[in-house]
Amino acid sequence: MKTKDQATRQIGRSIPRREAREKVSGRAEYIHHLRLPGMLYGKIVRSTLAHARLKSIDVSAAAAAPGVAGVITAADVRKIIPDPYYGPIFHDQPILALDKVRHVGESVAVVLAADPHLAEQAAQLVEVEYQELPAVYDEVEAMKAGSAIVHEVLRPAGMFPDFKDLAGRRNTNLHLDFKLRRGDVARAFANAEHVFEHTFHTRQIMHTPLEPIVTLAESNGSSVTLHTASQMVSVVRTEIARLLGWPENRVRVKTAFLGGGFGAKTYIKVEAIAVACALIARRPVKIALTMEEQFYTINKHANTLRLKSAVGRDGRISARECEVWWNGGAYADIGPRLTQKTGFTAAGPYDIDNVHIDSYAVYTNLPPAAGLRGFGVPTLTFAYESHTDMIARELGIDPLEFRRKNLLREGRAQATGTVMRDAATEAVLERLAQRMSWNAPFDRGSGSVRRGRGIAIGFKASISNTTSVAIVNVYADGSCTVYCNTVDMGQGSDTALAQIAAEALGIPVESVKVAHPDTDLTPYDMGTLGSRSTFHMGQAVKLAAEDARDKLLALATALGVPVETTPIADLFRKRYGMQAGNVVGVATFNPKSNQPDHATGLAENITPNWMVGGTGAEIEVDTETGHVRVTRLVNIADCGTAINPQIVESQLSGAAIMQYGCTMSEGIEFDAGQATNASLADYKIPGIRDIPAVFVNEIVAARQESGPYGAKGVGETGTFGVSAAITNAIHDAVGVRITRLPVTPEAVYRALRANSATPLEE
Amino acid sequence: MMSFEIAEPQTLSEALALLDPEDPSVRAIAGGTALMLMMKSGVFRPTRLVSLRKLADAHTRIDARANGELAIGALTPLAALEDAPMVRSRAPVIAETLRTLSNVRVRNVATVGGHLAHADPHMDLPPVLIALRARVAVASRRGTREVAVEDLFAGYYETVLARDELISALIVPAQGERRAAYFKCTTRAADDWPALGVAVAVDGAGSAIREARIVLSAATSKPARLRAAEAILGEGTADAVLARAAEAAAEEADVMADGHGSAAYKRQLVRVYVQRALRRALGAPGVNERAQR
Amino acid sequence: MAAGRKTIRFTLNGKPVETEIANHHNAVEVLEAFGLFGARESCAQGLCGCCTLLVDGKAVSGCLYLAAFLDGAVVTSVEHLERDGALSPVQEAFIEEGAFQCGFCTPGFVLMVEQLLDRCAAPSEDEIRHYLSGNLCRCATYPQIIQAVQRAAEKRKASAAA
Repeated sequence: MKTKDQATRQIGRSIPRREAREKVSGRAEYIHHLRLPGMLYGKIVRSTLAHARLKSIDVSAAAAAPGVAGVITAADVRKIIPDPYYGPIFHDQPILALDKVRHVGESVAVVLAADPHLAEQAAQLVEVEYQELPAVYDEVEAMKAGSAIVHEVLRPAGMFPDFKDLAGRRNTNLHLDFKLRRGDVARAFANAEHVFEHTFHTRQIMHTPLEPIVTLAESNGSSVTLHTASQMVSVVRTEIARLLGWPENRVRVKTAFLGGGFGAKTYIKVEAIAVACALIARRPVKIALTMEEQFYTINKHANTLRLKSAVGRDGRISARECEVWWNGGAYADIGPRLTQKTGFTAAGPYDIDNVHIDSYAVYTNLPPAAGLRGFGVPTLTFAYESHTDMIARELGIDPLEFRRKNLLREGRAQATGTVMRDAATEAVLERLAQRMSWNAPFDRGSGSVRRGRGIAIGFKASISNTTSVAIVNVYADGSCTVYCNTVDMGQGSDTALAQIAAEALGIPVESVKVAHPDTDLTPYDMGTLGSRSTFHMGQAVKLAAEDARDKLLALATALGVPVETTPIADLFRKRYGMQAGNVVGVATFNPKSNQPDHATGLAENITPNWMVGGTGAEIEVDTETGHVRVTRLVNIADCGTAINPQIVESQLSGAAIMQYGCTMSEGIEFDAGQATNASLADYKIPGIRDIPAVFVNEIVAARQESGPYGAKGVGETGTFGVSAAITNAIHDAVGVRITRLPVTPEAVYRALRANSATPLEE
Repeated sequence: MMSFEIAEPQTLSEALALLDPEDPSVRAIAGGTALMLMMKSGVFRPTRLVSLRKLADAHTRIDARANGELAIGALTPLAALEDAPMVRSRAPVIAETLRTLSNVRVRNVATVGGHLAHADPHMDLPPVLIALRARVAVASRRGTREVAVEDLFAGYYETVLARDELISALIVPAQGERRAAYFKCTTRAADDWPALGVAVAVDGAGSAIREARIVLSAATSKPARLRAAEAILGEGTADAVLARAAEAAAEEADVMADGHGSAAYKRQLVRVYVQRALRRALGAPGVNERAQR
Repeated sequence: MAAGRKTIRFTLNGKPVETEIANHHNAVEVLEAFGLFGARESCAQGLCGCCTLLVDGKAVSGCLYLAAFLDGAVVTSVEHLERDGALSPVQEAFIEEGAFQCGFCTPGFVLMVEQLLDRCAAPSEDEIRHYLSGNLCRCATYPQIIQAVQRAAEKRKASAAA
């Protein structure tokens, strides 16, 4: 046993994932596979209109269809859950549509059958009569007077004080207006040498986990158990318990490996429907969405972003004004929190004295939006890093030099007033310049193939005031299990947390197991999202393991055996006379930070840490067709210490490729609120032939002092700069500026034609 | 998917007897990759599927006829066509086209006959086969007939075949001095259905062109020859001629807007890819192959 | 037997089996009935490769393959690659290169790479990309997968030489 807090070889080791063998042999456990005796499948009947009053639902034909065990509507749900609205910030989403539907694809009824084919067949027999209402789809339109109103009354959840004053507000789609006011923006603009203003747009993105959203619920009458592919088992328990009016200990939430999450499997998705069905049918009910149904369930916000900057003769940005509209769709989900938390970084990683930010969460009649890998930061970075490049080029300053001149450096205050600590903005930018060989000559192509390059840098504040609890249970043979609610959805948390526990206990990593979440056994955690687990849960596990280690040391001392050399198993044997007993370490990690001031958005300590990511792209444009090919992509990140460098690298490259998809091809298309490309045949995520030929992923030497062994999160960092690096490179190659994602070949070709004053007809 | 009957005839005549000229819910199924998609989405609700898989042995041969024609059994999987040395040597453009057609698993299962009978305008082989002047042999209880692939397609997902007819073979004539090329242009990801496919075949040596075929697919409701462009190539292969042919192609193509691009943009793609395909077929250097995604 | 159902007999992972299926079932549902979950239906359109299995030695998308067509076939799923407790060189290479994250698509990739290396002992990067273009990985572990294919090719070569 190790007795001192010295570094051993667990941290910084690229050991294979703990579950590697199960995953390559097809034996890894996913909720997707789970079947229980007597189980029914629930097929959801979905709204065909974007906004309509529900006049009637006729389930008689479906209920009479062969094999159907029941058809559930909101009226049935209300008998067991009188107030069947859920949501983390607003209680605005009904388990099944009640008085009206607010988006195409909204859940209206559920058909239950033991045979999923029969459930699907019968679902087509449910007849719903609607009275259509005017609908609104655009986030800017939705804020204008006279717009269709999605929710008659705002219903904040009441958990968070900063949303309380919105309760009861009527006749508005705006459900959060985050304001940041720093310095004197008006004066800075009045005195500015140059003023630049640009507007940007992004579209809805589908998270597309390949294991679609799935929950299996069962009840024995006195308690309910959910087996769910969720990133947030503790929150699911709390919310289901609240809906049922039960204490939390009657709700058990279990998960397994997730076949991807990316933010889609957060808060309540189909858990509430599954629980309601299981309680009503008195049988286990599995709700497993199809790939298509995921498009109706959750997406990333579409945005409109307006940025305006004042720049002095010295090339310094003196003021920045940002207006960001987040198209939240029909239900708020976590959108308002995103609007605020991501909103305060909208001016970018720049040292600007005067900042004015308005960030609006807006309801529309589209499927609900939530965080997707980066929680809005990749969208903001696309806008502010395009804007930054546009300014630099108009001023004739090298884009790298312009960034150096304005970069937000260590010890300087960010827009909220929080002083930057352990944020390697400078190291990331400089390493990016090196790996891009920014000062070396660059082949610009010829003929119809033109080459260009671009860079971008972004940053993200870690989610603040969240809690992780961990239990480290040392068994009598010296092996141990970490009990925690961090969900391994591919990011490698089981491995990283095992490495941390092993390091703290001074035992081989092979002796550590990380239990999968089961809220009857594993303690509270806010959730596996926002790159928070390595930092938050990593620290909780480290502290819990140290607690266990201290108890083992005390035991050794009490037994009078040498602390340094006695194997753990001998301690137990000596103490209990046989292989028996446990030593349990427990810890809670809850780093404190302040909420932004309601009026000014300012806070002294807005976040426990900052994540910094920079991307450089070299691209080729086919000027005859507008096709863009990324030939080289460089990602540089500050993640503090890398617990497992191989996994860190694959997180960076994976995040960057995901954002490459969001940049180049992905975007849900809607026609009257109906998604028209809701399948992988028409919604193209990147494949192996899309990835750049040369791909560099690197971390800078850095340390997050408040993190476990100097570590912090990295799951999102690779996304930040990708979009703007590519659009900046396109501008560098052919002189056209793409301000709207995705960057389709047609968009580029049209921009080329417009640039040469021969616009292509519509 | 609703339940249905699966018949598994042992011979072609048994299979033909099981088809029903009047009933659209009875269909032949070979590999089934396309039909399964239609059944899953509810576009096709069969009462009876007539499986052709027990006929495979008799209809998966690839023979070279004395006149140089290749006769390809209709149940030949696309992957077998892709790998067949005889196809690679006599009509290499077919093997090249297959390389980016759907994916390996689909090519392992989907058959030549099914691919053609499905009549999805996004299929890659039809424009190539039209350019190569290929024909299909069609069997029914009334006997057999031959149909040029050029005449096979009646419209969007529609062929000229009757419900009780089956494609039994594909015949690719000897290519002689014909040089061919196919470009699949995608606009959303490298691996995607084409936004447009352009196949060209140029018959003749050097710049003396006897006949040229230019066939457009995916952007149109069915594969279409671009005859005005073909006619211009009678004037030779100089760059200016190719450019004029491409211009004529863009002019005459009846392209449709969809998720892959607007009609105006696709017309530009036609302009570019007709030239590129002609250059590639003619073996001209400097063809921008990079843009074939 | 009820209408729309039939009994099929086939070889599953080396053993003869018999089962009753519904005509509208696909091959993934058959494997699930045998407790094999390595092939998973995800996109349901044959595009993602998560449901890959081998039928008569050839990779197919189980979601687009009628269960009835398995009758008389030799069917192999990813679970059959492990022999006597030893992983295949391809599986080992995936682990060593860290060529997966969430793992949901991994069995499909592994089976495809086995097929690719059976066809071509030392594929170029271009050949690897083309062969695997019909398999999607949303975690986008593609660079590591390409490295794993190259490593697996080396491993196979080494074991053939030994």
